[in-house]
Amino acid sequence: MKNSLKKDLESVFKGIQITVPEKDRMIITAKKEEAQSILRFLKDNGYEHLGLVSCVDWIEEKEFELVYILSAYMQEDNEYTEKEKSNIIVKTRIPRDNPRFHTVIPIFQSSEPYERELHELYGIDFEGHPRQIPLFLERDYTIPPFRKDFDTRKYVEEVFDKIPFIEDKR
Amino acid sequence: MDRNKLVKWLKEPAKMGHKYSLHAVYFCTGCGIIEVPPSITARWDAERFGVIPVATPRQANLFLITGYVSVKTLKAIIRTYEQMPEPKFSVGFGSCPVNGGMYWDSYNTIKHLDKYIPVDGWIAGCMPRPEAIFVAVTHLWTLIDKEMANGYKRYREKYKYYRANQEQLFGKLEWPPLFPVGDKHEELAEKRS
Repeated sequence: MKNSLKKDLESVFKGIQITVPEKDRMIITAKKEEAQSILRFLKDNGYEHLGLVSCVDWIEEKEFELVYILSAYMQEDNEYTEKEKSNIIVKTRIPRDNPRFHTVIPIFQSSEPYERELHELYGIDFEGHPRQIPLFLERDYTIPPFRKDFDTRKYVEEVFDKIPFIEDKR
Repeated sequence: MDRNKLVKWLKEPAKMGHKYSLHAVYFCTGCGIIEVPPSITARWDAERFGVIPVATPRQANLFLITGYVSVKTLKAIIRTYEQMPEPKFSVGFGSCPVNGGMYWDSYNTIKHLDKYIPVDGWIAGCMPRPEAIFVAVTHLWTLIDKEMANGYKRYREKYKYYRANQEQLFGKLEWPPLFPVGDKHEELAEKRS
């Protein structure tokens, strides 16, 4: 099953890397132009559940790595098949100084809050996202706080430690 | 009833009443709330100590802050605290409200809770056992007896400083001041901005 999917992917998309690090797991590394069509292809092949959209900050390579984790739903009255137990991880890299990517909401509707989160915590701009408004954070940050060059200790010293104790006011 | 306490009851009935009927806000912050269901139900039974959770802050006089406080949660905590009728007692639960705990260098967690609202007592530990809640409650009784659990009075007296600290963190607050803040408050705010 996996092997046939791997062959299909390799025949359709040129220039992608597929690794199978362990059983029931497949990692597809693609260029950012191809990532969307790979996700669409996988959805048509039954991997309909988008479990997570995540991001890795490769600061030395000046790139963000977007990670999409897909899995398949269990069919009714079936034992788990090999396909339903497996996860497919799609990785793609975007430049760090101009982080832009197309939204995948047309393919997977459930990616909306994940993309909002990434926009807030990494500053990635998802083109075509209907509402990129803050999700968790209350304050404004100079740079998005999950980036590697965000110095949390300095931020804590500047913001939280500057607030005086009430006892000092006497 | 304990005969020795009879004089106390006759002298200060209101204080004794506050002592033995603590109504806790059912407000969950962070991980500490996982200790609260076993301590209010059959296993540890907080009602032995007169502690019972209530539905809304307007019926409560005990506020347990049970874990790390993020900036967004702090807003809810301030609003909840201000809604509670006096006398009210707040207890920081776990090491995170004390000084940040393991979130001491987090970008979105406030480190010292007593900069923003008054706190009458602390329970240290990560996590404290339910027994620690009862130790804290008995300590709170002695504090109420000696009139040392006066957080709500401090809040009223020093409201301008508390409000200034809250505004320093949040910028402009969406609700009006609870107590009059005076001219000095505006001076402080100007100095900081």
